[in-house]
Amino acid sequence: MARTLMRFTGVGGQGVLLAGEIFAAAKIKEGGHGLKTATYTSQVRGGPTVVDITLDDEEIFYPYANDGEIDFMLSVAQASYNLFKNGVSEGGTIVVEPNLVHPSDEDRKKWNIVEIPIITIAKDEVGNVITQSVIALAIANTFMKALDDELLRGVMLSKVPSKVHDVNNKAYDLGKKYALEAMAS
Amino acid sequence: MELREIISTGNDLAAEAAVDAGCMFFGGYPITPSSEVMHTISDLLPAVGGVCIQMEDEIAGVACAIGAGMAGHRTMTATSGPGISLKAENLGLAQMAEVPLVVVNVMRGGPSTGLPTRVSQGDVRQAKNPSHGDYRSITLCAGNLAECYTETVRAFNLADRFMQPVFVLLDETIGHMHGKAMIPTVEAVQAGIVPRQQFTGAPEDYRPYGVEGDEAAVLNPMFQGYRYHFTGLHHDAKGFPTEEIETCRKLIQRLEDKVMMHTDELELNEEFMCDDLEENDVLIIAYGSVSLAAKESIRHLRAAGIKAGLFRPITLWPSPAERIKYFTDKVKNVLCVELNIRQYTEEVERVSSRLDIHGLYKVNGRAISPYEIVNKVKEII
Repeated sequence: MARTLMRFTGVGGQGVLLAGEIFAAAKIKEGGHGLKTATYTSQVRGGPTVVDITLDDEEIFYPYANDGEIDFMLSVAQASYNLFKNGVSEGGTIVVEPNLVHPSDEDRKKWNIVEIPIITIAKDEVGNVITQSVIALAIANTFMKALDDELLRGVMLSKVPSKVHDVNNKAYDLGKKYALEAMAS
Repeated sequence: MELREIISTGNDLAAEAAVDAGCMFFGGYPITPSSEVMHTISDLLPAVGGVCIQMEDEIAGVACAIGAGMAGHRTMTATSGPGISLKAENLGLAQMAEVPLVVVNVMRGGPSTGLPTRVSQGDVRQAKNPSHGDYRSITLCAGNLAECYTETVRAFNLADRFMQPVFVLLDETIGHMHGKAMIPTVEAVQAGIVPRQQFTGAPEDYRPYGVEGDEAAVLNPMFQGYRYHFTGLHHDAKGFPTEEIETCRKLIQRLEDKVMMHTDELELNEEFMCDDLEENDVLIIAYGSVSLAAKESIRHLRAAGIKAGLFRPITLWPSPAERIKYFTDKVKNVLCVELNIRQYTEEVERVSSRLDIHGLYKVNGRAISPYEIVNKVKEII
Protein backbone atom coordinates (compact mmCIF):
# COMPACT_ATOMS: atom_id res chain seq x y z
CA MET A 1 0.00 0.00 0.00
CA ALA A 2 1.11 3.55 -0.63
CA ARG A 3 1.51 5.85 2.32
CA THR A 4 -1.74 6.85 4.01
CA LEU A 5 -1.80 10.22 5.73
CA MET A 6 -4.69 11.17 7.98
CA ARG A 7 -5.20 14.18 10.20
CA PHE A 8 -7.63 14.52 13.10
CA THR A 9 -8.20 17.98 14.50
CA GLY A 10 -10.14 19.29 17.41
CA VAL A 11 -9.58 21.27 20.56
CA GLY A 12 -7.73 20.14 23.64
CA GLY A 13 -9.88 18.04 25.94
CA GLN A 14 -12.19 16.56 23.31
CA GLY A 15 -10.40 13.25 23.39
CA VAL A 16 -10.27 12.77 19.65
CA LEU A 17 -6.55 12.08 19.90
CA LEU A 18 -6.74 8.47 21.02
CA ALA A 19 -7.84 7.42 17.55
CA GLY A 20 -4.35 8.17 16.22
CA GLU A 21 -2.66 5.77 18.61
CA ILE A 22 -5.14 3.04 17.76
CA PHE A 23 -4.54 3.45 14.02
CA ALA A 24 -0.76 3.31 14.42
CA ALA A 25 -0.89 0.29 16.71
CA ALA A 26 -3.23 -1.60 14.39
CA LYS A 27 -1.04 -0.97 11.35
CA ILE A 28 2.00 -2.20 13.28
CA LYS A 29 0.07 -5.26 14.39
CA GLU A 30 -0.65 -5.96 10.74
CA GLY A 31 3.11 -6.02 10.13
CA GLY A 32 3.55 -2.52 8.72
CA HIS A 33 4.61 0.80 10.14
CA GLY A 34 2.46 3.41 11.85
CA LEU A 35 3.29 6.68 13.53
CA LYS A 36 1.17 9.16 15.42
CA THR A 37 2.20 12.67 16.34
CA ALA A 38 0.08 15.19 18.18
CA THR A 39 0.57 18.91 18.22
CA TYR A 40 -1.12 20.95 20.86
CA THR A 41 -0.84 24.35 22.43
CA SER A 42 0.00 25.37 25.97
CA GLN A 43 -3.69 25.92 26.74
CA VAL A 44 -4.88 23.03 28.91
CA ARG A 45 -8.28 22.96 27.29
CA GLY A 46 -9.64 24.73 24.25
CA GLY A 47 -6.47 25.12 22.23
CA PRO A 48 -6.37 23.79 18.68
CA THR A 49 -5.04 20.24 18.55
CA VAL A 50 -3.93 18.21 15.57
CA VAL A 51 -3.04 14.55 15.28
CA ASP A 52 -1.19 13.29 12.23
CA ILE A 53 -1.31 9.59 11.43
CA THR A 54 1.07 8.02 8.95
CA LEU A 55 0.61 4.41 7.84
CA ASP A 56 2.96 2.66 5.46
CA ASP A 57 4.35 -0.75 4.63
CA GLU A 58 7.80 0.84 4.44
CA GLU A 59 9.68 2.41 7.35
CA ILE A 60 8.45 5.92 8.14
CA PHE A 61 11.05 8.50 9.13
CA TYR A 62 9.45 11.94 9.24
CA PRO A 63 6.47 11.63 11.58
CA TYR A 64 4.39 14.63 10.48
CA ALA A 65 2.14 14.92 7.46
CA ASN A 66 3.51 17.22 4.79
CA ASP A 67 1.11 19.99 3.87
CA GLY A 68 -0.78 19.19 0.70
CA GLU A 69 -0.28 15.43 0.99
CA ILE A 70 -2.99 14.51 3.50
CA ASP A 71 -5.63 12.15 2.11
CA PHE A 72 -8.20 12.50 4.86
CA MET A 73 -8.98 14.96 7.63
CA LEU A 74 -11.61 14.89 10.33
CA SER A 75 -12.44 18.03 12.28
CA VAL A 76 -14.66 18.73 15.25
CA ALA A 77 -13.73 22.38 15.87
CA GLN A 78 -13.87 25.43 13.62
CA ALA A 79 -10.62 27.00 14.82
CA SER A 80 -8.67 23.81 14.18
CA TYR A 81 -10.40 23.29 10.87
CA ASN A 82 -9.33 26.74 9.71
CA LEU A 83 -5.76 26.24 10.88
CA PHE A 84 -5.12 22.80 9.47
CA LYS A 85 -7.38 22.31 6.42
CA ASN A 86 -4.70 23.39 3.94
CA GLY A 87 -2.71 20.26 4.69
CA VAL A 88 -5.31 18.22 2.80
CA SER A 89 -4.60 17.43 -0.84
CA GLU A 90 -6.96 18.90 -3.42
CA GLY A 91 -9.93 16.59 -3.80
CA GLY A 92 -9.17 14.94 -0.47
CA THR A 93 -11.91 14.14 2.00
CA ILE A 94 -12.66 16.29 5.03
CA VAL A 95 -15.27 15.02 7.47
CA VAL A 96 -16.67 17.76 9.70
CA GLU A 97 -19.05 17.84 12.65
CA PRO A 98 -21.68 20.17 11.03
CA ASN A 99 -22.82 21.63 14.36
CA LEU A 100 -19.33 22.90 15.09
CA VAL A 101 -17.57 23.36 11.76
CA HIS A 102 -18.89 25.44 8.88
CA PRO A 103 -16.77 25.14 5.73
CA SER A 104 -17.01 27.91 3.11
CA ASP A 105 -18.40 27.39 -0.40
CA GLU A 106 -14.87 27.71 -1.69
CA ASP A 107 -13.75 24.87 0.59
CA ARG A 108 -16.56 22.69 -0.71
CA LYS A 109 -15.24 23.14 -4.25
CA LYS A 110 -11.68 22.30 -3.28
CA TRP A 111 -12.31 19.28 -1.07
CA ASN A 112 -14.82 16.49 -0.71
CA ILE A 113 -16.49 17.84 2.43
CA VAL A 114 -18.66 15.36 4.28
CA GLU A 115 -20.91 16.32 7.19
CA ILE A 116 -21.39 13.76 9.94
CA PRO A 117 -22.66 14.91 13.35
CA ILE A 118 -20.05 12.92 15.27
CA ILE A 119 -20.61 14.53 18.65
CA THR A 120 -24.41 14.32 18.41
CA ILE A 121 -24.12 10.64 17.50
CA ALA A 122 -21.83 10.04 20.47
CA LYS A 123 -24.11 11.88 22.89
CA ASP A 124 -27.55 10.84 21.68
CA GLU A 125 -27.15 7.50 19.94
CA VAL A 126 -24.25 5.95 21.86
CA GLY A 127 -25.01 7.83 25.05
CA ASN A 128 -21.42 8.75 25.88
CA VAL A 129 -19.67 11.78 24.38
CA ILE A 130 -16.23 10.28 24.99
CA THR A 131 -16.91 7.66 22.32
CA GLN A 132 -16.56 10.32 19.62
CA SER A 133 -12.97 9.23 19.10
CA VAL A 134 -14.11 5.69 18.29
CA ILE A 135 -16.78 7.01 15.93
CA ALA A 136 -14.08 9.11 14.27
CA LEU A 137 -11.83 6.07 14.00
CA ALA A 138 -14.52 4.05 12.25
CA ILE A 139 -15.41 6.90 9.90
CA ALA A 140 -11.78 7.45 8.91
CA ASN A 141 -11.17 3.78 8.28
CA THR A 142 -14.35 3.39 6.26
CA PHE A 143 -13.39 6.27 3.98
CA MET A 144 -9.72 5.34 3.69
CA LYS A 145 -10.08 1.55 3.67
CA ALA A 146 -6.75 1.68 5.51
CA LEU A 147 -7.03 -1.40 7.68
CA ASP A 148 -9.15 -4.45 8.24
CA ASP A 149 -12.17 -3.40 10.33
CA GLU A 150 -11.95 -6.24 12.81
CA LEU A 151 -8.21 -5.75 13.36
CA LEU A 152 -8.77 -2.07 14.07
CA ARG A 153 -11.74 -2.79 16.31
CA GLY A 154 -9.70 -5.37 18.24
CA VAL A 155 -6.87 -2.92 18.91
CA MET A 156 -9.42 -0.28 19.93
CA LEU A 157 -11.05 -2.66 22.42
CA SER A 158 -7.64 -3.60 23.85
CA LYS A 159 -7.15 0.04 24.81
CA VAL A 160 -10.40 0.54 26.73
CA PRO A 161 -11.64 -1.18 29.91
CA SER A 162 -13.77 -4.29 29.28
CA LYS A 163 -16.81 -2.76 31.01
CA VAL A 164 -17.10 -0.21 28.19
CA HIS A 165 -16.53 -2.64 25.30
CA ASP A 166 -20.24 -2.69 24.40
CA VAL A 167 -20.57 1.05 24.19
CA ASN A 168 -17.38 1.33 22.13
CA ASN A 169 -18.47 -1.45 19.80
CA LYS A 170 -21.70 0.43 19.28
CA ALA A 171 -19.77 3.62 18.57
CA TYR A 172 -17.61 1.83 16.01
CA ASP A 173 -20.65 0.33 14.27
CA LEU A 174 -22.41 3.69 14.15
CA GLY A 175 -19.33 5.45 12.79
CA LYS A 176 -19.06 2.90 10.02
CA LYS A 177 -22.78 3.09 9.24
CA TYR A 178 -22.81 6.90 8.96
CA ALA A 179 -19.66 6.86 6.84
CA LEU A 180 -21.13 4.29 4.42
CA GLU A 181 -24.33 6.34 4.16
CA ALA A 182 -22.34 9.50 3.45
CA MET A 183 -20.27 7.71 0.82
CA ALA A 184 -23.40 6.40 -0.89
CA SER A 185 -25.15 9.74 -1.08
CA MET B 1 21.33 -8.95 19.21
CA GLU B 2 17.83 -10.17 19.90
CA LEU B 3 15.33 -7.34 19.65
CA ARG B 4 11.75 -7.01 20.80
CA GLU B 5 8.97 -4.92 19.26
CA ILE B 6 7.29 -2.31 21.38
CA ILE B 7 4.69 0.32 20.50
CA SER B 8 5.28 3.37 22.61
CA THR B 9 6.38 6.99 22.82
CA GLY B 10 9.88 8.34 23.28
CA ASN B 11 9.19 9.59 26.78
CA ASP B 12 7.74 6.26 27.91
CA LEU B 13 10.67 4.40 26.38
CA ALA B 14 13.16 6.56 28.30
CA ALA B 15 11.37 5.72 31.55
CA GLU B 16 11.27 2.00 30.78
CA ALA B 17 14.94 2.01 29.79
CA ALA B 18 15.89 3.57 33.10
CA VAL B 19 14.16 0.90 35.13
CA ASP B 20 15.54 -1.90 32.91
CA ALA B 21 19.03 -0.44 33.37
CA GLY B 22 18.72 -0.65 37.14
CA CYS B 23 17.61 2.87 38.03
CA MET B 24 16.17 2.79 41.55
CA PHE B 25 15.43 6.46 42.15
CA PHE B 26 13.78 9.27 40.27
CA GLY B 27 13.52 12.78 41.68
CA GLY B 28 11.84 15.44 39.65
CA TYR B 29 9.23 18.04 38.99
CA PRO B 30 7.03 17.46 35.93
CA ILE B 31 7.38 19.89 33.04
CA THR B 32 6.04 19.80 29.50
CA PRO B 33 7.10 18.11 27.26
CA SER B 34 8.95 15.69 29.55
CA SER B 35 6.16 14.97 32.06
CA GLU B 36 5.37 11.49 30.73
CA VAL B 37 8.87 10.31 31.68
CA MET B 38 7.97 10.98 35.30
CA HIS B 39 4.38 9.70 34.98
CA THR B 40 5.59 6.40 33.61
CA ILE B 41 8.53 5.89 35.94
CA SER B 42 6.30 6.69 38.92
CA ASP B 43 4.33 3.57 37.95
CA LEU B 44 7.36 1.42 37.23
CA LEU B 45 9.75 2.17 40.09
CA PRO B 46 7.63 1.11 43.09
CA ALA B 47 7.05 -2.26 41.40
CA VAL B 48 10.79 -2.99 41.53
CA GLY B 49 11.34 -1.58 45.01
CA GLY B 50 12.51 1.79 43.76
CA VAL B 51 11.40 5.29 44.66
CA CYS B 52 9.95 8.10 42.56
CA ILE B 53 9.42 11.39 44.31
CA GLN B 54 7.84 14.59 43.06
CA MET B 55 9.64 17.42 44.79
CA GLU B 56 8.58 21.02 45.33
CA ASP B 57 10.53 22.34 42.37
CA GLU B 58 13.12 21.53 39.73
CA ILE B 59 16.03 22.32 42.02
CA ALA B 60 14.90 19.93 44.74
CA GLY B 61 14.14 17.33 42.08
CA VAL B 62 17.73 17.11 40.88
CA ALA B 63 19.11 17.60 44.40
CA CYS B 64 17.45 14.48 45.74
CA ALA B 65 18.39 12.53 42.61
CA ILE B 66 22.02 13.50 43.24
CA GLY B 67 21.61 12.37 46.85
CA ALA B 68 20.49 8.94 45.68
CA GLY B 69 23.52 8.84 43.39
CA MET B 70 25.78 9.72 46.34
CA ALA B 71 24.22 6.87 48.28
CA GLY B 72 25.25 4.51 45.49
CA HIS B 73 22.09 4.02 43.45
CA ARG B 74 21.44 4.45 39.76
CA THR B 75 19.35 7.62 39.65
CA MET B 76 17.62 9.88 37.18
CA THR B 77 15.77 13.12 36.74
CA ALA B 78 13.88 14.35 33.68
CA THR B 79 12.97 17.84 32.65
CA SER B 80 12.98 20.35 29.82
CA GLY B 81 15.21 23.35 29.13
CA PRO B 82 13.73 25.68 31.78
CA GLY B 83 14.28 22.90 34.31
CA ILE B 84 17.92 22.51 33.32
CA SER B 85 18.37 26.25 33.89
CA LEU B 86 17.13 25.78 37.45
CA LYS B 87 19.08 22.58 38.02
CA ALA B 88 22.32 24.02 36.67
CA GLU B 89 23.92 24.80 40.04
CA ASN B 90 23.35 21.28 41.32
CA LEU B 91 24.53 19.77 38.05
CA GLY B 92 27.80 21.62 38.62
CA LEU B 93 27.98 20.07 42.09
CA ALA B 94 27.51 16.61 40.60
CA GLN B 95 30.31 17.30 38.11
CA MET B 96 32.64 18.49 40.86
CA ALA B 97 31.77 15.77 43.39
CA GLU B 98 31.68 13.17 40.56
CA VAL B 99 28.19 11.84 41.24
CA PRO B 100 26.70 9.67 38.49
CA LEU B 101 23.25 10.76 37.38
CA VAL B 102 21.16 10.56 34.21
CA VAL B 103 19.38 13.72 33.14
CA VAL B 104 16.75 13.41 30.42
CA ASN B 105 15.99 16.72 28.75
CA VAL B 106 13.01 16.74 26.38
CA MET B 107 13.69 19.96 24.53
CA ARG B 108 11.05 22.62 23.91
CA GLY B 109 11.24 26.18 22.60
CA GLY B 110 13.31 28.66 24.63
CA PRO B 111 14.82 30.81 26.01
CA SER B 112 12.98 31.12 29.33
CA THR B 113 9.56 29.44 29.36
CA GLY B 114 9.55 29.76 25.56
CA LEU B 115 7.14 27.50 23.70
CA PRO B 116 6.15 24.80 26.21
CA THR B 117 4.44 22.34 23.89
CA ARG B 118 6.56 22.75 20.80
CA VAL B 119 9.68 21.18 19.42
CA SER B 120 13.14 22.70 19.58
CA GLN B 121 16.80 21.75 19.82
CA GLY B 122 17.72 24.94 21.62
CA ASP B 123 19.40 23.23 24.59
CA VAL B 124 22.33 21.68 22.72
CA ARG B 125 24.71 24.42 23.76
CA GLN B 126 23.26 24.48 27.28
CA ALA B 127 23.91 20.74 27.63
CA LYS B 128 27.57 21.33 26.87
CA ASN B 129 28.02 23.76 29.75
CA PRO B 130 24.96 24.03 31.98
CA SER B 131 26.94 25.50 34.87
CA HIS B 132 30.15 27.43 35.40
CA GLY B 133 33.66 26.02 35.61
CA ASP B 134 35.68 23.47 33.67
CA TYR B 135 34.34 20.01 33.09
CA ARG B 136 33.28 17.98 30.08
CA SER B 137 29.67 17.26 29.42
CA ILE B 138 28.62 13.85 28.15
CA THR B 139 25.49 14.39 26.08
CA LEU B 140 23.66 11.74 24.07
CA CYS B 141 20.85 12.52 21.64
CA ALA B 142 18.13 10.11 20.55
CA GLY B 143 17.29 10.26 16.85
CA ASN B 144 14.43 7.77 16.80
CA LEU B 145 12.11 5.91 19.18
CA ALA B 146 14.43 2.96 19.75
CA GLU B 147 17.23 5.27 20.79
CA CYS B 148 15.07 6.86 23.47
CA TYR B 149 15.49 3.44 25.06
CA THR B 150 19.01 2.47 24.05
CA GLU B 151 20.59 5.87 24.70
CA THR B 152 19.03 6.07 28.15
CA VAL B 153 20.51 2.65 28.92
CA ARG B 154 23.88 3.80 27.58
CA ALA B 155 23.65 6.96 29.68
CA PHE B 156 23.38 4.92 32.88
CA ASN B 157 26.41 2.84 31.97
CA LEU B 158 28.43 5.91 31.02
CA ALA B 159 27.42 7.77 34.19
CA ASP B 160 28.81 4.94 36.31
CA ARG B 161 31.90 4.58 34.11
CA PHE B 162 32.76 8.29 34.11
CA MET B 163 31.23 9.19 37.47
CA GLN B 164 29.35 12.29 36.37
CA PRO B 165 25.95 13.41 35.09
CA VAL B 166 25.08 12.24 31.57
CA PHE B 167 22.48 14.07 29.51
CA VAL B 168 20.01 12.32 27.24
CA LEU B 169 18.50 14.85 24.86
CA LEU B 170 15.10 14.10 23.43
CA ASP B 171 12.94 16.71 21.79
CA GLU B 172 9.20 17.23 21.85
CA THR B 173 8.70 15.38 18.57
CA ILE B 174 10.71 12.30 19.56
CA GLY B 175 9.37 12.38 23.12
CA HIS B 176 5.72 12.40 22.10
CA MET B 177 5.67 10.49 18.84
CA HIS B 178 3.97 7.14 19.08
CA GLY B 179 5.01 4.16 17.00
CA LYS B 180 7.06 1.02 16.72
CA ALA B 181 10.49 0.58 18.23
CA MET B 182 12.75 -2.45 18.08
CA ILE B 183 14.68 -2.52 21.35
CA PRO B 184 16.98 -4.93 23.21
CA THR B 185 15.50 -7.41 25.65
CA VAL B 186 15.56 -6.63 29.36
CA GLU B 187 17.95 -9.56 29.83
CA ALA B 188 20.39 -8.09 27.30
CA VAL B 189 20.22 -4.69 29.01
CA GLN B 190 20.83 -6.23 32.40
CA ALA B 191 23.70 -8.33 31.07
CA GLY B 192 25.32 -5.12 29.79
CA ILE B 193 25.30 -3.32 33.12
CA VAL B 194 28.77 -2.59 34.43
CA PRO B 195 28.41 -1.49 38.03
CA ARG B 196 30.45 1.49 39.17
CA GLN B 197 33.89 0.78 40.59
CA GLN B 198 34.21 0.12 44.29
CA PHE B 199 37.19 0.19 46.64
CA THR B 200 37.47 -3.05 48.58
CA GLY B 201 40.62 -2.44 50.63
CA ALA B 202 40.84 -1.33 54.24
CA PRO B 203 38.62 1.70 55.01
CA GLU B 204 41.63 3.68 56.33
CA ASP B 205 43.33 3.33 52.92
CA TYR B 206 40.31 4.59 50.97
CA ARG B 207 41.04 7.69 48.83
CA PRO B 208 37.91 8.21 46.64
CA TYR B 209 39.39 11.12 44.70
CA GLY B 210 42.99 9.99 44.89
CA VAL B 211 42.97 8.35 41.47
CA GLU B 212 45.19 8.63 38.38
CA GLY B 213 45.02 11.75 36.20
CA ASP B 214 42.60 10.34 33.63
CA GLU B 215 40.47 8.24 35.95
CA ALA B 216 37.08 8.83 37.51
CA ALA B 217 36.58 8.99 41.28
CA VAL B 218 35.82 5.71 43.05
CA LEU B 219 32.83 6.46 45.26
CA ASN B 220 31.70 3.57 47.40
CA PRO B 221 28.05 3.32 48.44
CA MET B 222 27.27 5.01 51.71
CA PHE B 223 26.81 3.25 55.05
CA GLN B 224 29.33 0.51 54.38
CA GLY B 225 32.15 1.83 56.49
CA TYR B 226 33.96 3.85 53.84
CA ARG B 227 33.89 7.45 54.98
CA TYR B 228 34.49 10.42 52.73
CA HIS B 229 33.28 13.94 52.13
CA PHE B 230 31.18 15.49 49.36
CA THR B 231 31.74 19.13 48.45
CA GLY B 232 31.49 21.53 45.55
CA LEU B 233 34.74 23.14 46.71
CA HIS B 234 38.08 22.04 45.33
CA HIS B 235 38.93 18.98 47.40
CA ASP B 236 41.65 16.52 48.31
CA ALA B 237 41.81 12.74 47.92
CA LYS B 238 39.28 12.20 50.71
CA GLY B 239 36.95 14.89 49.47
CA PHE B 240 37.78 17.58 52.02
CA PRO B 241 38.13 21.20 50.88
CA THR B 242 41.61 22.40 50.04
CA GLU B 243 43.33 25.30 48.30
CA GLU B 244 46.62 23.47 47.87
CA ILE B 245 47.91 24.59 44.46
CA GLU B 246 48.78 21.27 42.86
CA THR B 247 45.77 19.43 44.26
CA CYS B 248 43.42 22.06 42.80
CA ARG B 249 45.12 22.01 39.40
CA LYS B 250 45.17 18.24 39.21
CA LEU B 251 41.53 17.91 40.21
CA ILE B 252 40.18 20.13 37.44
CA GLN B 253 42.63 18.76 34.89
CA ARG B 254 41.40 15.28 35.81
CA LEU B 255 37.74 16.28 35.26
CA GLU B 256 38.81 17.28 31.75
CA ASP B 257 41.06 14.30 31.06
CA LYS B 258 38.84 11.56 32.42
CA VAL B 259 36.47 12.34 29.54
CA MET B 260 38.68 13.72 26.79
CA MET B 261 41.34 11.00 27.02
CA HIS B 262 38.63 8.36 26.62
CA THR B 263 36.42 9.76 23.87
CA ASP B 264 36.68 6.42 22.05
CA GLU B 265 34.38 4.99 24.73
CA LEU B 266 31.85 7.77 24.15
CA GLU B 267 31.67 8.59 20.47
CA LEU B 268 28.73 7.25 18.52
CA ASN B 269 27.17 8.34 15.26
CA GLU B 270 25.12 7.07 12.35
CA GLU B 271 26.17 7.39 8.71
CA PHE B 272 23.07 7.10 6.55
CA MET B 273 23.73 6.63 2.81
CA CYS B 274 27.19 8.13 3.19
CA ASP B 275 29.20 5.25 1.68
CA ASP B 276 29.07 6.47 -1.90
CA LEU B 277 29.47 10.20 -1.25
CA GLU B 278 32.06 11.95 -3.38
CA GLU B 279 33.46 15.47 -3.46
CA ASN B 280 30.58 17.15 -5.28
CA ASP B 281 27.79 15.38 -3.42
CA VAL B 282 25.90 16.61 -0.36
CA LEU B 283 26.49 15.80 3.30
CA ILE B 284 23.64 16.68 5.64
CA ILE B 285 24.44 16.86 9.34
CA ALA B 286 21.46 16.59 11.67
CA TYR B 287 20.52 14.95 14.97
CA GLY B 288 17.42 14.25 17.04
CA SER B 289 14.03 14.46 15.32
CA VAL B 290 15.45 16.63 12.54
CA SER B 291 17.41 13.62 11.31
CA LEU B 292 14.07 11.92 10.53
CA ALA B 293 13.17 14.72 8.12
CA ALA B 294 16.71 14.57 6.75
CA LYS B 295 16.44 10.85 5.99
CA GLU B 296 13.14 11.39 4.22
CA SER B 297 14.68 14.28 2.25
CA ILE B 298 17.56 12.03 1.15
CA ARG B 299 15.03 9.59 -0.32
CA HIS B 300 13.56 12.45 -2.38
CA LEU B 301 16.97 13.86 -3.35
CA ARG B 302 18.35 10.53 -4.49
CA ALA B 303 15.16 9.87 -6.49
CA ALA B 304 15.87 13.20 -8.23
CA GLY B 305 19.46 12.19 -8.98
CA ILE B 306 21.13 14.21 -6.22
CA LYS B 307 23.48 12.11 -4.14
CA ALA B 308 23.13 13.06 -0.49
CA GLY B 309 23.87 11.35 2.82
CA LEU B 310 23.26 12.03 6.48
CA PHE B 311 25.85 12.19 9.23
CA ARG B 312 24.05 11.99 12.55
CA PRO B 313 25.95 12.46 15.80
CA ILE B 314 24.36 10.37 18.57
CA THR B 315 26.91 11.43 21.17
CA LEU B 316 26.71 15.22 20.75
CA TRP B 317 29.28 16.05 23.45
CA PRO B 318 32.09 15.28 23.14
CA SER B 319 31.45 15.42 19.40
CA PRO B 320 32.47 12.58 17.07
CA ALA B 321 35.17 14.93 15.80
CA GLU B 322 37.24 12.51 13.73
CA ARG B 323 34.29 11.21 11.73
CA ILE B 324 32.95 14.74 11.16
CA LYS B 325 36.41 15.78 9.94
CA TYR B 326 36.62 12.74 7.68
CA PHE B 327 33.37 13.60 5.91
CA THR B 328 33.80 17.36 5.85
CA ASP B 329 37.25 16.85 4.25
CA LYS B 330 35.73 14.59 1.64
CA VAL B 331 32.48 16.32 0.68
CA LYS B 332 32.27 19.91 -0.53
CA ASN B 333 28.60 20.68 0.12
CA VAL B 334 27.87 20.37 3.84
CA LEU B 335 24.49 21.38 5.26
CA CYS B 336 23.72 21.48 8.98
CA VAL B 337 20.02 21.33 9.78
CA GLU B 338 18.99 22.28 13.31
CA LEU B 339 15.98 23.47 15.31
CA ASN B 340 18.12 26.24 16.77
CA ILE B 341 20.50 28.80 15.31
CA ARG B 342 23.90 27.28 14.61
CA GLN B 343 24.34 25.55 17.98
CA TYR B 344 26.01 22.46 16.49
CA THR B 345 27.09 24.10 13.25
CA GLU B 346 29.70 25.95 15.28
CA GLU B 347 31.08 22.61 16.50
CA VAL B 348 31.16 21.32 12.92
CA GLU B 349 33.02 24.48 11.89
CA ARG B 350 35.49 23.96 14.73
CA VAL B 351 36.33 20.34 14.04
CA SER B 352 36.31 20.72 10.24
CA SER B 353 38.23 24.02 10.19
CA ARG B 354 35.76 25.13 7.53
CA LEU B 355 33.75 28.32 7.50
CA ASP B 356 31.65 27.48 4.44
CA ILE B 357 29.24 25.11 6.16
CA HIS B 358 25.66 25.79 5.04
CA GLY B 359 22.80 25.94 7.51
CA LEU B 360 19.05 25.49 7.66
CA TYR B 361 17.60 26.58 10.97
CA LYS B 362 14.14 26.99 12.46
CA VAL B 363 13.24 28.45 15.84
CA ASN B 364 9.46 28.93 15.78
CA GLY B 365 8.52 25.66 17.46
CA ARG B 366 7.65 23.92 14.20
CA ALA B 367 9.42 20.96 12.69
CA ILE B 368 11.61 21.26 9.60
CA SER B 369 9.95 19.31 6.80
CA PRO B 370 11.77 17.04 4.34
CA TYR B 371 10.82 19.39 1.50
CA GLU B 372 12.45 22.35 3.18
CA ILE B 373 15.67 20.36 3.33
CA VAL B 374 15.31 19.28 -0.31
CA ASN B 375 14.83 22.89 -1.39
CA LYS B 376 17.82 24.06 0.65
CA VAL B 377 20.04 21.36 -0.83
CA LYS B 378 18.99 22.37 -4.36
CA GLU B 379 19.89 25.95 -3.48
CA ILE B 380 23.43 25.17 -2.31
CA ILE B 381 24.60 22.74 -5.00
